[in-house]
Amino acid sequence: MIDYDFLRSLDFSIVWKYLPVLIAGLGTNILLTAIGFICGGVVVGTLLALANLSPNRFISWPAWIFVEFWRSTPLLVQAIWVHFAVPGITGISMTPFQSGSIALIFNVAAYCSEIIRGGIGAIGKGQFEAAKSLGLRFYPTWRLVILPQAVKLMLPPLVGTTISIFKATTILSVLAIDDLMRTASRLSSSTFQPVEIYTTAAVLAFIVGAAITFAGYAAEKRLKRGMA
Amino acid sequence: MSFDLGLVLRNGGTLLDGALVTLAIALVGALVAVFGGALICAARISKNAVLRSIARGYILFFRVTPEVVLIFWAYYCVPLIFATKVSGFWAGSVVLGLIGAAFLAEIYRAGIESVPRGQVEAAHALGLPSLPKWGFVILPQALRLSIAPLVNYFSEFLKNTTLLSAIGVADLSLQAYLLGGQTYRYIEFLSAIAVVYFFMIFPVILFARRLEVRLGRPGKRERSRSGLLPKLSRPTPQSRLANP
Repeated sequence: MIDYDFLRSLDFSIVWKYLPVLIAGLGTNILLTAIGFICGGVVVGTLLALANLSPNRFISWPAWIFVEFWRSTPLLVQAIWVHFAVPGITGISMTPFQSGSIALIFNVAAYCSEIIRGGIGAIGKGQFEAAKSLGLRFYPTWRLVILPQAVKLMLPPLVGTTISIFKATTILSVLAIDDLMRTASRLSSSTFQPVEIYTTAAVLAFIVGAAITFAGYAAEKRLKRGMA
Repeated sequence: MSFDLGLVLRNGGTLLDGALVTLAIALVGALVAVFGGALICAARISKNAVLRSIARGYILFFRVTPEVVLIFWAYYCVPLIFATKVSGFWAGSVVLGLIGAAFLAEIYRAGIESVPRGQVEAAHALGLPSLPKWGFVILPQALRLSIAPLVNYFSEFLKNTTLLSAIGVADLSLQAYLLGGQTYRYIEFLSAIAVVYFFMIFPVILFARRLEVRLGRPGKRERSRSGLLPKLSRPTPQSRLANP
């Protein structure tokens, strides 16, 4: 069943030649992951979570609809929508990297806002009341009472989300961003050695994904020890 | 800037074809994931250390490697290595199924591990052989807890079906993208399919949330016997209020 003649004809030596290009592509994925996590997860995600928790319905309902819509549509559709449809509305054309980042940021923000909301929501009302009765103002309440507890609850799902963000960045290659996958498919069509190139790409992507996973576990462990 | 809905409706047939391909991918992938996941889970909790570590490796690999990378690998490399022809549809949906199997194996395992230890011990004490122990004691309770996360994963899975468009499978997203390219009316087609995907995926998410609430409560059989439980063991509204 396995074509052994073909397997023997594989020549992985070309991988060394193209490894720097592939790693540069992977760098784009890592950059996009960082953009998605920091801008999307931390900044926009927190804003959305706060909007969602707001007692004012004119703020919480639009936030809720936004989150549900971005969570219920595929990132690929969102990315091509931002890249091809939005310029038709606004008249501003964007580079693939810009539109890819925008789609990614909103997508990640929608996911993370639910995690952040869940983390804050899991902190009992008594904690807020206790902080108030101690006379703590807004900032110390959040900084000293609520967030240390909430972050501990948010970290495990956030690790999972970070891996999802990294995996999602490869989807953005459909917009012709020179990331790992696009570099790999260009190389495979120019060298006619798809097995060597794609296998290397898969190994590289796996290494980064596994590294994020283990870094996340380590962070979780440290936080648990530090807070216990 | 006008929004021409008629354009979308005139091409409804093509979009419907795409939607059917999307559903076919979801069906094939879900079957592979549900049964493959059960096998991987069985290996993951087996007593054999070799099987266990193979399953751990499988789960780690398929959970952290991007779907697109695996789909490309399957589409371009499998036909060469095995000297066969593989269509994009089959390569892609089986790969999505294999990825799903890794996630579902962990969902099943979480369900099995949350069955109270006393249940397994009771089955042992009754001298139940392996098959009835699993079939009547562990799995009914474990699967009940697995259903909500399983449905939730299916919503993720539906989103992943769009990735097959990268290897040229004419699913809903690729059809819309091509129609947009032919007519230069991306807004209509892409907005239309965004709405279609929303109405495909959002009900699944809502269903998963409903299941989570419903299955978190005791089931019918447990409820009917709850009269036998001592009354004090259940929290009353008063006792909850008294708790600071």
